[in-house]
Amino acid sequence: MRGKTTEARTRERIARIVAKKEGLIRLSLQACAHCALCAESCFIYRQSGGDPTCTPSYKAINSIGKIWRKKGRLSEAEYARIGELAWNKCVLCMRCYCPVGINIPSLISAARGACRERGVLRTYDAKRNA
Amino acid sequence: MVKATRKPLEEIFGMVKGFERVLVVGCGGCTSVCLAGGQREVLALADELAECARNARVPQQYACFVTERQCNREFLEDIEERVENCDCLLSLACGAGAGLLADVYAAVPVFPALNTMFLGADLDVGLYEERCRTCGQCVLGDTGGICPVTRCSKGSLNGPCGGTQQDGSCELGDGIHCAWNDIYDRLKGQGRVESMMVIRPPMDWMEKGPRTLVQRGFEGRYAKKPAGMPQPRQEREGAAARMPPGAAADKARLP
Repeated sequence: MRGKTTEARTRERIARIVAKKEGLIRLSLQACAHCALCAESCFIYRQSGGDPTCTPSYKAINSIGKIWRKKGRLSEAEYARIGELAWNKCVLCMRCYCPVGINIPSLISAARGACRERGVLRTYDAKRNA
Repeated sequence: MVKATRKPLEEIFGMVKGFERVLVVGCGGCTSVCLAGGQREVLALADELAECARNARVPQQYACFVTERQCNREFLEDIEERVENCDCLLSLACGAGAGLLADVYAAVPVFPALNTMFLGADLDVGLYEERCRTCGQCVLGDTGGICPVTRCSKGSLNGPCGGTQQDGSCELGDGIHCAWNDIYDRLKGQGRVESMMVIRPPMDWMEKGPRTLVQRGFEGRYAKKPAGMPQPRQEREGAAARMPPGAAADKARLP
């Protein structure tokens, strides 16, 4: 490990997270028919008044799906956007329903793991309205 | 949410110093929120322990990972391969999470790095107050949302003990409010003081064995099936085995 840059080690850790679920990610991206039936099972989607970016499938495809397609080589800003999707638009309540059987929470959890490795994570000690 | 706090560093190091490869496992749930077991806390603890190991000349390697929720079996699968390459696990989850981690990876020693304190509310960043003792017999509806079991120093369930001071504080002092004085004030403000006059039987503190909750509507799913039919997974069997099919029990207690 000695000699590798921090960046290389971070990429390696992200690649490990993605590799663990690669089969699931690949299959999910192929199987998703964009039917949007998962939307109605998501309370955040319903509460948002139908914001399409709150659809569970959108969150999965545009988080871990994007990380997988780009092999983890995303900019800080892109990881920040994925973090926004994975934390602020999903609470991992695991109630999303997919008629095809895609395990959306597992995908979102992988996206969160990749974001954490990148230093993008939810903080709980920031003062509100500060 | 569950509130926890980190054990002293010496105690944690004492638990893991006999193991060469330690996987520090954080939790993205409650202990992240209470700033005890999230990503930052995991990395900080691993750094501090590595420093302890260097000082004590103990050859050790620390790896880190944060699961989404350690109290959920599905999320624990994320660390399966990492567990194969470690000698022990150090959990930064609550007792429920650390316990489930130990169940799932039963062949590997699991040590808790946190002390689970209580179910509490966030008063401010890093400031929490106990609000619930999970007694399973909630009376908040009759006490104006103030729990006498948790907030009264004596856990008095049927009114104040007689030690209420003139200013509404508890006889124990130290700025503690008398819960029953607060209950009276709140109910009076709502115009329903009579609801605190209900005399309740003593709470059943004897049966405090491991409890299992089957949520309303899920009784059928976890009911025991006739012989020959596939049984529910073992971890779900406890509640189901003790409930008649279709019974609308909210809680089942395991012996």
